[in-house]
Amino acid sequence: MVEFSHLTKAYKKKVVVDDFTLSVDVPIFGFLGQNGAGKTTIMKMIVGLLAPTSGTITIDGALSSHPIFKKKLGYMPETPYFYERMTGMEFLRFCDELFDNNNSGTNPAARASHYEEILKKVGIFAARNAEIRTYSKGMRQRLGFAQSLVNDPEYLFLDEPLDGLDPIGRREMKEVMLALKYEGRKIFLNTHILADVEEICEEVGIVHKGKLLYAGSVKTFCAGRPLEERFMETIQAHETEARLEPSITTSATGTGTK
Amino acid sequence: MRNIFIIAKNTLKLEIRDKILYGIIVFGLLYVFFTLFLADLVLKEPTMVKAFGLTGIYFFNAIIALFLGTTSFFKDVDRKVVYFILSKPVSRAQFLLGKFLGLCMVLLLTSAILGVAYLGVVYFKVGVFDWIGIAAIALQFMEMTLFLAFAIFVSTFASSLLSIVYTSGVFFLGHIVSQLVTDAKTIGIGGIRLWLVEILYYIFPNLEKFDVRDFAIHAVATPWTSFGLAFAYAVVYIALLLTAAVWVFDKKEI
Repeated sequence: MVEFSHLTKAYKKKVVVDDFTLSVDVPIFGFLGQNGAGKTTIMKMIVGLLAPTSGTITIDGALSSHPIFKKKLGYMPETPYFYERMTGMEFLRFCDELFDNNNSGTNPAARASHYEEILKKVGIFAARNAEIRTYSKGMRQRLGFAQSLVNDPEYLFLDEPLDGLDPIGRREMKEVMLALKYEGRKIFLNTHILADVEEICEEVGIVHKGKLLYAGSVKTFCAGRPLEERFMETIQAHETEARLEPSITTSATGTGTK
Repeated sequence: MRNIFIIAKNTLKLEIRDKILYGIIVFGLLYVFFTLFLADLVLKEPTMVKAFGLTGIYFFNAIIALFLGTTSFFKDVDRKVVYFILSKPVSRAQFLLGKFLGLCMVLLLTSAILGVAYLGVVYFKVGVFDWIGIAAIALQFMEMTLFLAFAIFVSTFASSLLSIVYTSGVFFLGHIVSQLVTDAKTIGIGGIRLWLVEILYYIFPNLEKFDVRDFAIHAVATPWTSFGLAFAYAVVYIALLLTAAVWVFDKKEI
């Protein structure tokens, strides 16, 4: 179970994640929100790239930034960048070597076949020995996904994993995610593409301006209506509430002008 | 420690695939071989082969150290390649130290390549193996590692271009700072002005400690004490710079 408790992140005075509290225990959970809503910041805090200003994130009861937990997670950053002069296979080997538990006592040939399996799974096996600088955007996305699987993680945190993929690529990646779910892995997905969420996530968290507006099952949230419509409605309702809030406060204190 | 070596090994592997590095090494080698003719043009003195050769190795290694130190670490952070690394069981300190060690290995390799060429040229021209030259190249290498540590430290908070400016400035000051103090005392500067010069002396590394080229050129054995002191000085200075770099990098929002 992943638990966020009063998680807050501020850059100087700007609060980008605001008192975020949530518990998640489903196979595939999607963070949904507009660009700049704070989804990436939350994910970066989960995997220890950013330190929260306050609050905690625990996974199965342990702090998510703990090195022991990092061995159990896979992370794919948004728009991944690589060492351009490496090949796909070399990059996976490098990533794998950083998990010391994987290599000890395992022969290189077995590890190499493990990398090949992953590359086949994400559909870039044919380009495994080509330098990454020759990869297309879609291939880079797939390699970013591949490296997140190199340590057989229990938890996967994927930041916009379907961005930049063509329709066939999106379909294939979604199938890989579903296959991972059936293997018992838990997946956290950041996306602003509603159709993907509707298709593969059991639960969603609607994030807007760093605040959690809704968390729960997709079906309950949609209540028979299209997800896009419900999403827009939720965001607009929050915006209206936020606009009204100051005038309500000033009226209550009697200092407002009518 | 294991992760530091993995990152160092990877850094070495990537940097030696860089065509710019090859270009600099090729120019360095051409220069070292060219010293055979250059020395004949100037004074027709065999020791000039050593002077030009050692200065050439120093110059080309300084370019490599500046180029690697100001770009390699900065690019990894700026282009967010670190996201892949730091989301794994790797601390920021391990990443930074691994990068430093890897770049030191590149410098060691280039020093060795240019050094072997130099020793061959000296043997061909003078007929003796230049043992003292090896000590001079070793100290030059120590100076370059210090230079590299400074460049990485600056890269933790400044852009690549600013790192080049700051690191070049420190390189320049590091070579004149001890002379500045001597000159200030000789011409009788005192009070706050001498105090300011002395502050500069203690803040900036004294890179003249690593210059034993004159010993090598005139075939005078380098005293072990000055060699040892320079080595210890570099180790302490590098340790301080890397500690500061880790501290800044730990606080950096990436």
